[in-house]
Amino acid sequence: MTTVDGVRRLPVPPKPRRPKAMLIGWAIAAVVVAAHTVAWETTGISLGALVDGWRGMADFLGEAIPPDLSWKVLGPSLDAALVTLWIGLLGTTLSVPISLLLALLAARGTAPAEWVYQAARAVLSFLRAVPDVVFALIFVTAVGLGPFPGVLALVCHNVGVMGKLWAEALEDADPGPPQALRSAGANRVQVAAHALLPSVLPQLAGLLMYRFDVNVRSSLVLGLVGAGGIGFLINQSIKLFKFDEMLTHILVVVVLVVAVDRLSAVVRRRLSEGDHA
Amino acid sequence: MLALSGITVRYGERPVLHGVDVTVSRGELLAVLGANGSGKSTLLRAAADLVPVAAGQVTVDGGPRDRLDLALVFQRIHLVRRRSVLDNVCAGALGRLPLRSSLLGFPREVREEAMACLERVGLADRAHDRAGSLSGGQQQRVAVARALCQRPRVVLADEPVSALDPAASEQVLALLAELAHVEGLAVLAVLHQPALAARHADRVVGLRDGRVVLDGRPDQSVDSLYQVLEPVS
Repeated sequence: MTTVDGVRRLPVPPKPRRPKAMLIGWAIAAVVVAAHTVAWETTGISLGALVDGWRGMADFLGEAIPPDLSWKVLGPSLDAALVTLWIGLLGTTLSVPISLLLALLAARGTAPAEWVYQAARAVLSFLRAVPDVVFALIFVTAVGLGPFPGVLALVCHNVGVMGKLWAEALEDADPGPPQALRSAGANRVQVAAHALLPSVLPQLAGLLMYRFDVNVRSSLVLGLVGAGGIGFLINQSIKLFKFDEMLTHILVVVVLVVAVDRLSAVVRRRLSEGDHA
Repeated sequence: MLALSGITVRYGERPVLHGVDVTVSRGELLAVLGANGSGKSTLLRAAADLVPVAAGQVTVDGGPRDRLDLALVFQRIHLVRRRSVLDNVCAGALGRLPLRSSLLGFPREVREEAMACLERVGLADRAHDRAGSLSGGQQQRVAVARALCQRPRVVLADEPVSALDPAASEQVLALLAELAHVEGLAVLAVLHQPALAARHADRVVGLRDGRVVLDGRPDQSVDSLYQVLEPVS
């Protein structure tokens, strides 16, 4: 211990060297660098191509600006944006019952048996692993072009994601009230209905709003593969080289996405505030 | 009413209770006291069939125990905070309701019985408030009402006032004593505060190292339960 100007000091002991940890650190760094090198080569990233393509980009932007805001373009654009919104809404709402059932079966504490738990988890993983665009391509083939296959595709993928998120919210719930009702002789379903679900309702509703937000954005992409909505118009205008119309559609999309995003955020904030009251 | 005889409980190889005999009569509030680790909470859990019992038996009125005969009151209260006080009390009746009539709201007769239980604990005017909006002491009284709505013969309270302030603690224990005396329930309460037991209990049982070392009047000295035998280094 030394004392400098009345302040007590103690020398810091040297850090113990751990050669093994350092070796592992270097190995991880080497793997990360190697992965990026392979990825760079495989994806054909070329700054030269980007510079050469500059003229093409400029032409593209020159034709797109100013956007065509005439009613003959804007009107159908707004109509199609509403269709996109309805696809996102139904894709979310219609997946609620199946998501709830699968979430209850895929949460420890509510799953009636281990094999049911594993089976429900497997179904959710599968639905989550298949992208909604792939579901959309399948359903477009099955039921034809239009918004309906879009709704079906969103329901399938959203059940996978929302079911998992809900199952995790159920597992994180306070186990006390369910324990109290079990001790009062309530059965599994009664415990879920009277203790578990009422406790986690705000979390479930918040996740639902978050998924609504994501699904509206997804339904845009679904339009690109023929499942209706404003994505379909964007695809068409690119194919017909009408870039000024495309920009109009994109601006409408931005307004729609921001509006839904705001709505979702406000509702989720209100829900979490109500929880602490 | 409630009789525990020769109860032995082991956690792994370690015995926590060694052949404990405890009885609680109709109309009696029995306080179980003891230091941390004395086995008092394990005794209550054994009575409620929440831990496996290695030896001994639990009877209610001389017969085998029916789950619905025993109602529990918890230290951490365990109400559903977002539901109304009335719904929480109604949930006590779930064990005797068929699934069909319990999923879409409670039947009218259950709601009216729950109101009577709330009246019993002095909170009938708060029926439609959210349970989470009540004070800790009021919430524990709602939990007692929920236990009453189960129509039990025995109430087991596991440190029911450990999370409450002194005034609320007095109120809750006075309520438990009154329910024992007026409704003829057998009430077993595990307590941490000997002074509260002395004021409200009809009888106290003291546990030390998993054995009953004291059983009798509530105003006797219980200091020996909490003495440290080995000097603390």
